[in-house]
Amino acid sequence: MKNAKRFILMVLFGLVVFVPGGCSRKDKQSAQITICFAFQDLETEYWVAAHKAITETLRAQNIKVLERNAHQDANRQLEQIRDAIAQEVDGIIMIPQDGESAVTIIGEANKAGIPIGVFNRPPADRSKPALVVVADNERIAEEAVAYMAKAARKLNRKMTPLILVGDLGDQNSIERKSGFYNAVDAHPDLFKKPIEVPTKWDATTTLANLEAALQVEPGVDFLFTSSDFLYPQVKAVLEPLGKWKPIGDADHVILGGLDGDSTAYKLMKEGYVDATGVQDLFFEADAIMDALLEAIEKGQSTPEKWIQDPGFALTQENMAEREMDMWGCRILKDAEAGIEK
Amino acid sequence: MKMRKILLRLPGEVVLSDHSILVLTVLYFLLIWAIYPHMAGRRNLANLFSNVWPLLALVIGQMFVLIVGGIDLSQTSIMAVTSVLGAMVMATRFDPAKFQHNPLWDIVFSEQGGWLAGSAGAVPAAIVFMLAVGIAIGFLNGLAVAKLRMPPFMVTLVGMSFFSGLAIYLTRSENIMHLPDRFIAVGKGAVGPVPSALLIVVSLTVIAFVILNRSVLGRWFYAVGQNIRTARVSGIPTERVIILAYIFSGFCAAVGSILYSARLEAGRPTLGRNLLLDVIGAAVIGSISLFGGKGKVLWAVYGVLFFVVLDNSLNKMPLEFYSIDIIKGCVILMAALLDALRTRIGANQLIPAAGG
Amino acid sequence: MTEWALEINGISKSFFGVRALSDVSLCVHAGKTLGLIGENGAGKSTLMNVLGGVMPPDEGTMRLFDEDYCPTCPADATRAGIAFIHQELNLFGNLSIADNLFIDGFPHIHKSPFIDKRSTHRQAEELLTSVDLQIPPKTPIERLAPGEKQLVEIAKAMRRKSRIIIFDEPTTSLTATERSRLFAIIQRLQDQGQTIIYISHTLEDVLQVSDAITVLRDGRLVSAGPCSDYSVNRMISDMVGRKIEQMYPARDTHPETTSVLEVQGLSQPGIVRDISFKLQKKEVLGLFGLMGAGRSELVRIIFGLDPFRAGRIRIEETDIAKPSSAASIRHGLAFVTENRREEGLLMEASVLENLDLLTLKRFAKLGPVGLIDWITTSKGAHQISKRLNIKSGPIRKHRAKNLSGGNQQKVVIGKWLLTDPSVLILDEPTRGIDVGAKYEIYRIINRLAKEGAGILYISSELEELMGMCDRILVMSNGRLKAEFFRGDYDQEAILQAAFSASDRPANSDGMN
Repeated sequence: MKNAKRFILMVLFGLVVFVPGGCSRKDKQSAQITICFAFQDLETEYWVAAHKAITETLRAQNIKVLERNAHQDANRQLEQIRDAIAQEVDGIIMIPQDGESAVTIIGEANKAGIPIGVFNRPPADRSKPALVVVADNERIAEEAVAYMAKAARKLNRKMTPLILVGDLGDQNSIERKSGFYNAVDAHPDLFKKPIEVPTKWDATTTLANLEAALQVEPGVDFLFTSSDFLYPQVKAVLEPLGKWKPIGDADHVILGGLDGDSTAYKLMKEGYVDATGVQDLFFEADAIMDALLEAIEKGQSTPEKWIQDPGFALTQENMAEREMDMWGCRILKDAEAGIEK
Repeated sequence: MKMRKILLRLPGEVVLSDHSILVLTVLYFLLIWAIYPHMAGRRNLANLFSNVWPLLALVIGQMFVLIVGGIDLSQTSIMAVTSVLGAMVMATRFDPAKFQHNPLWDIVFSEQGGWLAGSAGAVPAAIVFMLAVGIAIGFLNGLAVAKLRMPPFMVTLVGMSFFSGLAIYLTRSENIMHLPDRFIAVGKGAVGPVPSALLIVVSLTVIAFVILNRSVLGRWFYAVGQNIRTARVSGIPTERVIILAYIFSGFCAAVGSILYSARLEAGRPTLGRNLLLDVIGAAVIGSISLFGGKGKVLWAVYGVLFFVVLDNSLNKMPLEFYSIDIIKGCVILMAALLDALRTRIGANQLIPAAGG
Repeated sequence: MTEWALEINGISKSFFGVRALSDVSLCVHAGKTLGLIGENGAGKSTLMNVLGGVMPPDEGTMRLFDEDYCPTCPADATRAGIAFIHQELNLFGNLSIADNLFIDGFPHIHKSPFIDKRSTHRQAEELLTSVDLQIPPKTPIERLAPGEKQLVEIAKAMRRKSRIIIFDEPTTSLTATERSRLFAIIQRLQDQGQTIIYISHTLEDVLQVSDAITVLRDGRLVSAGPCSDYSVNRMISDMVGRKIEQMYPARDTHPETTSVLEVQGLSQPGIVRDISFKLQKKEVLGLFGLMGAGRSELVRIIFGLDPFRAGRIRIEETDIAKPSSAASIRHGLAFVTENRREEGLLMEASVLENLDLLTLKRFAKLGPVGLIDWITTSKGAHQISKRLNIKSGPIRKHRAKNLSGGNQQKVVIGKWLLTDPSVLILDEPTRGIDVGAKYEIYRIINRLAKEGAGILYISSELEELMGMCDRILVMSNGRLKAEFFRGDYDQEAILQAAFSASDRPANSDGMN
């Protein structure tokens, strides 16, 4: 008897799903646009800044933003975006966990006819249409390392280079590594074979692996980190070895990174870092928002665009003119201004 | 006087009844519907139920293990490793840039795809293989618990560590894309108007129901969980029963893996990583006792329903991300307390054992 | 100084419509001992629970030393000065004696929060002396024998200066020496003017210690009076409601010569040595011995639960190659263990689920994966429940843990009877069970034997064995020492054999 009841209940629930026109009431008041912003934790300064930039800009335009944090769980993000689709949002901006889940989720948005933008982490392939904004990591890295090579030339010796490599599941890491090698291979006489240290984008792993590498090869004097957020680990390893010295010192290790956060800016100001590749965060955020809003306005359901942020390398040479283009610098200066007030 | 007693007893009876969780779920659903009208919209309900099926598969498996007094923490890693192994059999393409340095490159899979890529039997073979792996791991778990008398918590915790590590090692942390459409249809598709996931999991539920309620084996599961010593004296092959429970749990985890992998259209070594709390939570909410000997298929269904409705509603609210975990934890705690309360109320109304 | 320590007036209590107590009124004289007897299910435990604050009565009042007494929780009862010495003791095994004695109120050093260890120790020693226990107070409880633990409980009650001490089945797990020691303590308490309620199934003991006796039956008080008005026979007939001519039902069958169980040279080092005997069809074979003689261990080995190093087991002319409980059951063996709670029953399951546990596989097609044949198994369970007169609510719903001890034992026996065994092994089947239920079990055993089974009966009550068995084997230190036949039972000789320490069997004739 009980079991019959249960089956009836399940059937009832099932019917509600299939009976067309269920009980949904369209809740569209006026023309306020709703955008779902789905991201993955906010672990580094870059993501925090991006989150702030996107949400504040959208809200300033009187757009309703549904924020969803998937905590690095691809399945959860899928569920959240499906939910947003069910709520009939006008557009979606997504920071995916990895390239593969990005493709799947783009597919869902396409099926529902909702324009979707992917920010900074590209999908694994371009099989499904979406608005994608990525930094040209390879070029930016190459530019930064090229400057570092120039500085190395002045030292008149063969350099022992080392690169901290990011998680190879991340397309950005692969490109940054390529850029590094492009610049290094252009000066075969200047460099010994580079040491690669895997970091998996994890601070603890970086610390351990970098320490080990320096024990094996203590003569490292040219170091590139695939992301600025690892600078503290670099300092933690170099300092006790007496290798954390500013430019001009005989023991200075030529140092460079990529991202453009406030730590990098400070270290450049203090003279420890020679150059940092900068992803133009504000450019990227603006680009994705503009593209999405344009698609919404035009009523496009599966817009496709591939926008590349050329970025640039902030070096000791061009710091004076270009520092305000570095988002890390701008954030620092905004904060200082706020404190002074 | 009597009337008052009957009325006072009514809420107690509802609380004590089997269907209390369902009632709670429906009430909660109605409450949320009042606030978020599209809760009962067709799309939302479709989403909600598509989240129910894979979780229910896992909870049913876990239930068997809980009934015999154990626990299976390795279900999520069984999901990961079967997802990856299945993909290696049937994926249609492997990106050399990502997989070139994989130890199994050109041995099991290559740029042209997985082991059986392209053949008509690839998908069924992969599915069978995934289920077999789930059964095998379940067998190992059960063997360690039943024959070696190791504590289930430890055995399955070690299993969880080992197999999720194995999954990551086999793929070098890469996700395996390009799964055949036929496989994806198993998880996302439909037979007529009915989602295939529904068919699969409802069949699984019915089988579990029949085993637990109508077969001798089902009674043996309960007996072993309630008092293993009595079961032994009564000639029940307790070791085999325990092993079977873990095998079933592994099998259900593999079923869950099929559904989740199809959903995400990839073999993922991190599949299910955060699901364990959901599985155990749904089981506890459904009053399946963590101490063994108690559990019903109906309760598993109710527990999962409640959990998914809760999850679905939390997704709509503008909450800070940590709040969701806190709320889920509180709900599970409430459920455990309610269960303890129910047991106490029930006990006080019964004749106590006379001395001797 | 009041005359009445405790007055109970018109107490009634029902559970789910079943009346456990009906209008019970009794009084206990201050400084006297009341013996409270009754079958299980008669209401003694319920009455004690009401007295102890575990549950409130539906009707009725109580007065303790001339004051109204309405406890709402056990702590109230303790505070009012009522102490229980239960069968299941409430001591903390890992703590010392002294800790247990003072667990609810250690003496402090001069009002500071620190415990005065020396004072604790000294007072503990005094208390232990008053109960004749020569054990250092520092000893952890778990090292004590049950009898010694009980004395600690008594000491605890004395420390609390309890106004009434209630002994609930105190002698069940005691050895003979411990029993005498207990009675000596009780005598001393009585000399000191302590009010006592003594509950026990051992009627001789009750007669010995009590000043007055009260008999409960079916929730009512059926008789009360001074001890001098009572004899064991009258106590039994009042409890049961009819005259029992004899303790043990008559046997009208004799053992046949075919053997249903044969054990040869069974040995397991440290447990049993070279055990050989035959159990015949329609025979009731008793196995007697002191605690620790190895009887339970022997039958567990025979049944296949424990391993053995050497020897053979034959059931109905078939050698059992790999003994296991499942194999034994298959060959027609049944085993009622001595601990029904731990190994006999599924306490949380219903009576029906306990009864049909062994018949499920038999009646299901496709064996264990097969579907249960509800109709057949349920019918069998209901039939056996009626036949054994198991007092319970509807057996599909009623949980085993809510039955009285005697009925629980009947459920275990019923479960095994449903397998139609050719050999039934019973280990202490009537321990802790009231007179009426005991008699019923004896009758069941006799009938089984008549129908052709062989019964192996372990008991520590020699009288019971002498009344029931055709033959008695005596074990000591893991060996079979002697054999006695009906008609030649000599209590002294049997006891001597049980106590014999030498390795050679004392009685060398007639052993198979």
